Amino acid sequence: MKNKTIFELQNISVEFEKHSLNQRSLREAIGSRLKGRRLEKTKALNNISLNIEKGDHIGIIGRNGAGKSTLLKVLTKVIFPTNGNIIRDETQHVIPLLELGIGFQADLSGRENCYLSGILMGYSKKEISDKMNDIIAFSELEEFIDEPVKNYSSGMYARLAFAIATDINPQVLIVDEVFGVGDEFFMRKCIIRMQKLMAKGVTTIFVAHNLDFLVTQCVRLIWLEKGEVMMDGNPAEVASAYRNSKSPLRLVNVQ
Amino acid sequence: MYIDHFLHTPSIRFAWQYAKNQLRTKYRYTAMGFLWNFLEPALYLVILSLVFSVVNRMNINDYAVFLFSALVPWRYFEKVVNTILESIVNGEWLIKKMYVSPFAFPLNRLIISSFEFLFSMISAFILFIFLKENWSIHLIVLPISIIPWAFLAAGIGLIGAVLYTFFRDVKPLVQLLLTLTFFTSPILFKPDIFETGTIQQQLMQLHPFTYLAALFQKPIYMAAWPTANEWIISFGFGIAALLLGIYLVNKYKSKFYYYL
Repeated sequence: MKNKTIFELQNISVEFEKHSLNQRSLREAIGSRLKGRRLEKTKALNNISLNIEKGDHIGIIGRNGAGKSTLLKVLTKVIFPTNGNIIRDETQHVIPLLELGIGFQADLSGRENCYLSGILMGYSKKEISDKMNDIIAFSELEEFIDEPVKNYSSGMYARLAFAIATDINPQVLIVDEVFGVGDEFFMRKCIIRMQKLMAKGVTTIFVAHNLDFLVTQCVRLIWLEKGEVMMDGNPAEVASAYRNSKSPLRLVNVQ
Repeated sequence: MYIDHFLHTPSIRFAWQYAKNQLRTKYRYTAMGFLWNFLEPALYLVILSLVFSVVNRMNINDYAVFLFSALVPWRYFEKVVNTILESIVNGEWLIKKMYVSPFAFPLNRLIISSFEFLFSMISAFILFIFLKENWSIHLIVLPISIIPWAFLAAGIGLIGAVLYTFFRDVKPLVQLLLTLTFFTSPILFKPDIFETGTIQQQLMQLHPFTYLAALFQKPIYMAAWPTANEWIISFGFGIAALLLGIYLVNKYKSKFYYYL
């Protein structure tokens, strides 16, 4: 049986203007219009077409600036692509974890931030309060949950953010290299939590630099290079092709 | 699709929850806490009425009631325009990282300013107890009187927010327009200082804020109902501005990310 498509990207391109700072004032805009100056553009994503299906576990690899984060931002509706079409299954609850603790307010307590953050992820207040105990338990913040988060250590902060994102009811998780934050114990805890969610059928899309992690966890690996899909398929094959392509480049750089 | 962005439930919930948190934390660490909500506008109004009654050599009680009646909604108007104008750019910390409707931050600013307006109005009425003699039934329309002000302010704020996202130097321009509007509106001075038939008097007839101000001045100062004309013109301007603002945000929202 064919799985349901959650994201269908058709010829997606995202272009950024170089030196866009210059354009930020009316004076400059009129000036450059009069001079007929055209802004240079760079393509963060170049004509990408992809299908992501329900239950997929996808890893995205590529060097810095390859367009990985841009792709995740297109999937999470943060960026409207310059060209192309994207069809989404709006019934799926997509949880973006592009950064831990997006939307956290330093002056608010952990509990208040749970509500704010949970609401941003699309949950209702009731769904959040029903899971509050689980969130507190996972983040190990029992005594500190009513303290302002500005007094939290970075580990406490990360645990709380990760707990909110994964505890309630995610159906699609989009994760951008966020496990590097806490200590090793936290990392292991996160990975176990992710594996459980994946086993439950939650669709996951990871960006990570840890190839071994991706090869063991994912069923499909996408390799991006300069905004284009270089390879898309079996994790072990893509990973070894990526590794081989990387080493000569490194040597050149060293010389 | 437009409606989807406008009524995106999580974004509305966020605007509301975030406003509640902001109002709560604003005074959390101040000694007088919640009382500041009333004291700050009251002090402002007292100082302003003292100054202007001396300058204009008018009966202070009478002038203060006249002045406060339209000044309190004007301050609300100015606050809403200024904060909505900046709201999308200031919301960068979230908008660039997670999807929220482009209307979430403007709505959040509108909610906060509306609460502050409520506090200012209560302060003004506490002062009215000492200043005002003719209390009348007409005061019951005030909750409706503020609606066209809110629409107009939100609309102009949204138009400004779109411009401000692309051109950061529109802010002083908007400030200038607000100042110009304020000093030409019959808020500081009474419209009857111009004799009928003069150019000034005719220009006042064309000024939208003549009608908006009347929605507050008539019930509070003159103990009268605003006329049908005043309602229609005020709501007309308000709705037109709001629709234009919503239209512009929808038209340009896909470009915001690239300019934040």
